[in-house]
Amino acid sequence: MTVRDVERALRTALSRGGDWAELFWERHETLQLVLDDKRIEDAITGVDQGAGVRVTSGEQTVYANGNMTDVDDVMAIAGRAARSVADGSGLHEAARLVPDELPRPHSVAIDPRTVPVERKVALLRLANDVARAHDPRVSQATVSYAESVQEILVANSEGVHRTDTRVRVNFAVQVVAKDGVVLESGFEAVRGTLGFELLTEDAVRDAAESAARRAVLNVGAQPAPAGTYTVVLSSEAGGTLIHESVGHGLEADLNLKGLSVYSGRIGEKVASELITVVDDGRDPGRRGTAAMDDEATPTQRTVLIAKGILKTYLSDRKHAEKLGIPRSGNARRENFRHLPICRMSNTMIASGDSDPAAIVRSVKDGIFVKKMGGGQVDVVSGNFAFEVTECYRIRDGKLAEPLRGATLVGQGPKLMSEIDMVGWDLGYSTGTCGKDGQGAPVADAQPTLRIPSVVIGGKIQ
Amino acid sequence: MSTRLTNDEVVDRALEALRAGRVATAEVFVRDALSGSVETKEGALEVVTARGERGLGVRVLDAQRIGFAHTSDLALAGIEACVDQARRMATITEPDEDLRIAGAPLETVDLDIYQPGLEERPLADRGAVALAVERAARSVDPRITHFRKTSYSDAEVTTVIATTRGVRASYRESFCGAMTSAVATQNGERQIGYHGEGARRIAELDPESVGTRAAQRAIEKLGAKAFPTQKLPVVLDPWMAMSLLGAISPLFSADNVLKGRSLFAGKVGERVANERVTIVDDARRRGGLRSAPFDGEGVATTTRILVERGVLRGYLVNLKTAGKLASPPTGNARRGSYASPSRIGPSNFYIEAGADDPTALVRDPGRALAVTSLLNLHTIDPVSGEFSLGATGTYLEKGAPVHPVQGITIAGNLTHLLSSISGVGTDLTFGASGIGSPTLLIAELSVGGT
Repeated sequence: MTVRDVERALRTALSRGGDWAELFWERHETLQLVLDDKRIEDAITGVDQGAGVRVTSGEQTVYANGNMTDVDDVMAIAGRAARSVADGSGLHEAARLVPDELPRPHSVAIDPRTVPVERKVALLRLANDVARAHDPRVSQATVSYAESVQEILVANSEGVHRTDTRVRVNFAVQVVAKDGVVLESGFEAVRGTLGFELLTEDAVRDAAESAARRAVLNVGAQPAPAGTYTVVLSSEAGGTLIHESVGHGLEADLNLKGLSVYSGRIGEKVASELITVVDDGRDPGRRGTAAMDDEATPTQRTVLIAKGILKTYLSDRKHAEKLGIPRSGNARRENFRHLPICRMSNTMIASGDSDPAAIVRSVKDGIFVKKMGGGQVDVVSGNFAFEVTECYRIRDGKLAEPLRGATLVGQGPKLMSEIDMVGWDLGYSTGTCGKDGQGAPVADAQPTLRIPSVVIGGKIQ
Repeated sequence: MSTRLTNDEVVDRALEALRAGRVATAEVFVRDALSGSVETKEGALEVVTARGERGLGVRVLDAQRIGFAHTSDLALAGIEACVDQARRMATITEPDEDLRIAGAPLETVDLDIYQPGLEERPLADRGAVALAVERAARSVDPRITHFRKTSYSDAEVTTVIATTRGVRASYRESFCGAMTSAVATQNGERQIGYHGEGARRIAELDPESVGTRAAQRAIEKLGAKAFPTQKLPVVLDPWMAMSLLGAISPLFSADNVLKGRSLFAGKVGERVANERVTIVDDARRRGGLRSAPFDGEGVATTTRILVERGVLRGYLVNLKTAGKLASPPTGNARRGSYASPSRIGPSNFYIEAGADDPTALVRDPGRALAVTSLLNLHTIDPVSGEFSLGATGTYLEKGAPVHPVQGITIAGNLTHLLSSISGVGTDLTFGASGIGSPTLLIAELSVGGT
């Protein structure tokens, strides 16, 4: 598709009225290999290509999208968008496009598409062997490799024309351990917006070892108790806490509607002075990193909360303008089928100055969370829950027996004001965030944290 | 655009490319969907979306090795490239003697799942549904002050499948759905209530019911308090029960059973649930949201009892696992899209209506917790069966609400949950995901709180 084709599509989009138009084009190549039950079971590849045309007219947005085979399909999509615009306010002209390129946050050393499939299969087998050799109680292993190269083009009627290429790899290991009638699973993944260089043998070996160790540990663990406890979250636990308890509540769309517990609170104290929260869409190689967001706004490092004070929200074009805050480059969409929405990229609680070991020693009776799983938040009430996939009892300042099946629940702002120790370390985790039916690759990070009192969901003995 | 191939032509070209490549057995799948949605904001349409989606998936079985490729480029060159890629993928996987491509002829069957013309309705009609949802929610109570999101969406979908072993069939279906998240405000406290419903025909969708239930969900949470840690009986209304039932379905997957990932392995003929519980998977339910004449592998779908009065009767299988278990295929290879191979899963999956009056179920235990929302359902591990979920609820004494609660967890094991169902209501209800359940009373669950 040439620059002239794109201009023509934008002109078509505005041909029946509307204030502003945008074209999002995408070509997404994927390969997925799955080793399950000791066999290479799935080899899946494909190309997903399509475009979406957005026209805004006052408070209304029209979005037409579809798969495309050729440029004619894009013109048809633009025509469909134009036909849905209900506007009597006259015609707006699309500006001449001025293509430019944004600096990339990092370079990809090895394009995964250039790596022979035998090499990828060998890594699957390595992970399977490592996991199965870990312990006789390991009864099943599923290892998957996925590569994804997403090329996008974003152009709008203000003359913006930008492209980005997101190369991602995702290597995941799921292990089942069995002891008598008890089955438990353990999971670990290596993933990022990087090329094949991320998947060293050591990284693959570590992931397999961690997944197997976690499954075996849980099969022998005691069920977690239910009730209110002091909790230490290890930096290794990942960032599900910051993502669920604070991050979603800082997305500008919810704040414009006045629906977040953080609405209208910029400049106010919303967390303990020990807490600084940052979203960084340019952190090199992280899973949520890109050169630009899906509206062509450059990504950036945004301080959301500085020493407990709320500074700004995560925004897209529309909500930045409406809330009078700068664009933060956080408009993201799963693919061309969706409009972009405000969401996180790589989100973290910044390190503090406590010794992580001293934080554990400070707790007489509590829970040490070493790994978190998925989570969810109700942004209106601020109530959140997240899964704990590896945790231990703390007795007299030392780690004691492992526990399984725990969940942490709380209310975001309350929890953030109660955290009373922040470690000098920092650990990352990766995930796929779900919002409004769209998935987005993200990373989260946090230091070791102490929460004096939080509800643990487990079983009552 | 003049060169656009019809769906049947795409299938024919793919079959020709397979023959030209001397591929003995393969399956070709085309899905073509038109869909639209509207979102409202404060009584007006805010977002209008229209989507056209069409693509091809090719599965090649060569020397008992399977390969899969998909494309949305439906020009001849794109189709041929897709076939080539599927052949290449089949050289990477390892052989499995039970892999099969469907060959049994399919009968035509009308399941009442298609309303022609759904996508040609004017935009104003679609907007009217979403606006009616909002209006219904507001009229429930003046404390309904905001909406997180209100939307209406619909789709018309054509599915075509053909195999080199002679299967060739297609069907059309339609969907429409409405959902809202209503927000209730009282003395600075805000609570959200979500509800969504789906139907095959627009006349079967009730916007009033969607708005009213969402509003009630938000209102019932107002005044929520903390709750002490304890064990007590738990009431799951049909909507809450459906979400847990969805988490149970992987236990029935023959793939999980054969690979040692299901707590139901080796349990056929044994009691796995309370005797009040009968679980059915019915892909032939007329008008069902997950009804289809054939599955993602081109195998005829069926109606089956999976759990009969508490006793496990069988598993959900695809062609491969049916071979391994030497059991007849059940048509449970579900396919989410042309771009993904099918996976074993349920169709219209439900607990049969029981004998208990739902209001009596709430009244009978002296004290109980009625769950009003669940957080973190996606983290339930079907392998261990363990769940520990964030929740809100209403604390009940003798069936009367005492106060709403929040910041709690409910925890247990899915298999234990099934065996502790001590009451099954007469009010079987189906949700937008095709899962159905009556009101359930769980004899006792661990509730974590203060």
